[in-house]
Amino acid sequence: MNEKEIKFIGKITAGVTHEVNNVLASIREISGLMTDILSITDETSFPRKEKFQISLQKIQNQVQRGIKLTCQLNKFSHLSDTNKTDVDLNEIIEHLIFLTERFARIKNITLQNRPSTQSITITSDPFLLQMSLFNAVSYLLNRMDNGCEISICPDKNGSQCSVSIICKGELLDKTSIFKDSSSSEELLSLHSIMESLNGVYELDESNTAIIIKI
Amino acid sequence: MEKIKILLVDDEKEFVETLSERIRMREHDSDVALDGEQALKKMDDDLPDVVVLDLKMPGMDGMEVLRRIRKAYPKVQVIMLTGHGSEKDEEEAKKLGAFEYLEKPVEIETLMKKVKKAYKIKFESTMMAATFAEAGEFDTAKEIRDSDEDQDMLNNDKKKSK
Repeated sequence: MNEKEIKFIGKITAGVTHEVNNVLASIREISGLMTDILSITDETSFPRKEKFQISLQKIQNQVQRGIKLTCQLNKFSHLSDTNKTDVDLNEIIEHLIFLTERFARIKNITLQNRPSTQSITITSDPFLLQMSLFNAVSYLLNRMDNGCEISICPDKNGSQCSVSIICKGELLDKTSIFKDSSSSEELLSLHSIMESLNGVYELDESNTAIIIKI
Repeated sequence: MEKIKILLVDDEKEFVETLSERIRMREHDSDVALDGEQALKKMDDDLPDVVVLDLKMPGMDGMEVLRRIRKAYPKVQVIMLTGHGSEKDEEEAKKLGAFEYLEKPVEIETLMKKVKKAYKIKFESTMMAATFAEAGEFDTAKEIRDSDEDQDMLNNDKKKSK
């Protein structure tokens, strides 16, 4: 995808998430008004008031869930605003967890964010960087068994920053993870992204990890 | 409890009308404008204490409305309420004199806390201006601010000369 196409998708996504957010904000206010009215309504004049209250609370919980999702999606859409900016690795990994959580949940794999205690900021293309991390996680998710775990750990050593994506778990079949690595679509894509970012990636077979170095 | 006059400015009709109703249920005055021009016209007729203003609206955008409010009615406090605003927008709004910058949707109790704080500032600056005007020292709250700026400049000059 070229820069113009990425920006186009980003702009459309940002616009739609903004509108969805407005819809959610309206539902939230309307259900809030219903809660307000209910709170000043006498129990005797409102049969099944408690059930009504519980249902309202469920609506509000779902709205809250929707707001979190649109907020993250909006954040994602703005990754394409610029192709060179300061990126906080801890922050981008937190966002990556959101983007990949659903895929992991379907496979019953746990994603563990292991943020660095220090702030690691690099100047990079946030969209491509996120895409590289996503490809690495996707590759592992597609080859891991149910019940395993993926830990994502950023690190800084001198001027070298890295993100290690490590597979763990008793049920992990270490031999199968990198068996077809040379023909994998995710790793081919990761390779070309890393070239654009002037970085590299390594397959650490002994630790069953992919290490992205930027 | 003081009854605060709040003007809500947002093009999302159902959102803003419902929010307004909830504010009225909390014993405050609330009015609605669906765009910037309507908001400024309403302010000419009946001045609110606090304006809750959306950033992205058709026609005149929230930033321009904020600029005009601060110029024409410097004592009226403005709270920006926007969905997915950027840090840059927040910075600009604060520079233009917005009292607070909140992301939509916001808990009504959080919003009301900010509105009350904004009202307190508006009330205090009005009282100060009245006191100084009575003493014949100043005419308006603008002069109070100007005098603060003069004092800052004086302090800076003193620092430089040391």
